[in-house]
Amino acid sequence: MSPEIFFQIIVNGLFTGGIYSLVAVGLTLIYGVMIIVNFAHGEFLMLGIYVAFWAFTLFGVDPYLVIPVALLLVFGLGVMIQRGLVQRVLDAHPLNQIILLVGVSTLLMGLAQFFFSADPKSIHVSYETEVLTAFGLRFSIPRLIAFFASMLISGLLYLFLQYTRTGRAIRAVSQSRDAARLMGINVNYIYYLTFGIGAGITAVAGVLLAPNHTMIPTMGQGYSVIAFVVVVLGTMGNFIGAFLGGLIIGVVEAFAGFYLGGDVKIIASMMIFILILLFRPAGLFGRKRP
Amino acid sequence: MTTKNAVITTKGSYRNWLREIFFDWDRTQMLICFVLVGLLALAPLFIDSTYYLGIIILTTIYAFIGISWNIVAGFNGQLLIAHIIFLAIGAYTTIVLFNYFLISPWVGILIAGAVAGLCGVIVAFITLRYGLKVDYFALFTIALMVALRTLFLKWDYVGGAVGMWFRLTEPSFDKMIFANKPPYLYIGLGMVTVGLVIQYRIYRSKMGKYFLAIREDDDAASALGVNTSLYKMLAVVIGAAMAGVGGGFYVMYVTFIEPPQVFNLGLNVEIVMAGPIIGGLGSLAGPVVGALLNKPFAEIMRGILTEGRPGSSLIVYGSFLILTIMFMPRGVTGVLHTIYRKLINRYEIEEQGDS
Repeated sequence: MSPEIFFQIIVNGLFTGGIYSLVAVGLTLIYGVMIIVNFAHGEFLMLGIYVAFWAFTLFGVDPYLVIPVALLLVFGLGVMIQRGLVQRVLDAHPLNQIILLVGVSTLLMGLAQFFFSADPKSIHVSYETEVLTAFGLRFSIPRLIAFFASMLISGLLYLFLQYTRTGRAIRAVSQSRDAARLMGINVNYIYYLTFGIGAGITAVAGVLLAPNHTMIPTMGQGYSVIAFVVVVLGTMGNFIGAFLGGLIIGVVEAFAGFYLGGDVKIIASMMIFILILLFRPAGLFGRKRP
Repeated sequence: MTTKNAVITTKGSYRNWLREIFFDWDRTQMLICFVLVGLLALAPLFIDSTYYLGIIILTTIYAFIGISWNIVAGFNGQLLIAHIIFLAIGAYTTIVLFNYFLISPWVGILIAGAVAGLCGVIVAFITLRYGLKVDYFALFTIALMVALRTLFLKWDYVGGAVGMWFRLTEPSFDKMIFANKPPYLYIGLGMVTVGLVIQYRIYRSKMGKYFLAIREDDDAASALGVNTSLYKMLAVVIGAAMAGVGGGFYVMYVTFIEPPQVFNLGLNVEIVMAGPIIGGLGSLAGPVVGALLNKPFAEIMRGILTEGRPGSSLIVYGSFLILTIMFMPRGVTGVLHTIYRKLINRYEIEEQGDS
């Protein structure tokens, strides 16, 4: 393998991994605060990409301009799901929580198929196939933008969690719900906000995929599974872990795709997942078994 | 219950017999199930349409698979989310044995159950060896499903991405191929009956009590001397073997199988999870009642109300799951149980008033 190909694979892997990171960061945030595995997570990405599709098809708006709209819409949906449904099963048996979220996922998927049809769709923007060549490597423009936007959004979210009052409140709730409540934090408000943010940034990941990605209503499932892999790899509830885990899985998949062929690359991440679950369920950044 | 029966023995033997059934909720549930099965058995007398009979046959398959999942998830509380992998393995085993080795599906289905059960042993051994907890176990099964889908897509022996068709020949009993629908229906109903009996026997046995104890509190059960690993594995193996048998019959009926069709979380919700959950997870009547409620309703929604638009059955299953968890976490059977207890209490008070 020549160095060019090697670095090209790494670049491609990082570009895919950036999106994985963004999706996984949303999932890990929700898990960290509410200790609930969001089985409907990929569906938010699917909704995001369809928001971009309809904005482009109906109004001719560039996908990147739709990011705030998708963020707000899916944020609102996330808050509603949290407020109306998830909130009521927070103390229930994990089986009930998982069934509820599987139900939400099935319902969203069904609604998408019902209204948007099950046929694959895609949008064609002028810069779809444009490529930037530097250092002998080829960078696809939409994927370059998607990568840096993911990095930027993850970074902003990290700063938000670290340095703002609300962000500190979110972290406090994730450490101890009761202690946070005693300190005067409105825990329910934090829950709504967290689920909304987690869903919203996942929708942004969907919008970022829109310019060069075929969309079908069931695409969310694949991303859910990838997000589970990444989050477990980077320790459930760990922000930095999810971020790095996404990049790692992206690169691993790129190499697996190079050696095994495009369809089989998912086997590689599943193998990593199963090995991590079996031998280090606490993930790369966890100390003790959960 | 036994003490109550001992107190009231003066009535006629016929009353006693009724009492034995109706004063025991478990037996009442079984009675409800058998009445439903009996009603379905009469369906071919009134329904000629192959479309509606087909829905009823699928309902029986869903009920049987639901029973198999109910034993693992309902009795034993294990989050075997992607239970459909065992159905798929059973289906593939049956079709491979029939197409390549000319083994009759009647035998093939049983072998399919054994193979799926063996896969259950492997899955249970791996997960128990490393002590995966609730959420992680659920994620593990989903990852396994995705990995198996890719594997089967690339495995040319079982048809790869093209899938496998039955080599359809002349209808004959020993090949389990029939010209019309009723024979399939009776096989399906026979399987549901056997499944119900197995489920009841497990529920009433010592093993069933261990299953429930493990579901309620793993550590406490272990502290009381229950071999939790053994019984967890047994639950998975029994569930997997039954799902394998169900998968064998499923593929005999639909005559075609491809990886994206069976290694699919949407179908998993539809065929495995929806029935027991809506009917009442962990109850005896749950899978049958649930399958009877949701499969026909989803078909009506898809066929009549929306004229076959994609996604309508997913909407039905999704909203049923959400509504069940929100408003009746113990399912339809739970609601029936509440009504039943009120009726029994009232009857007992009247009886005490009489005597």
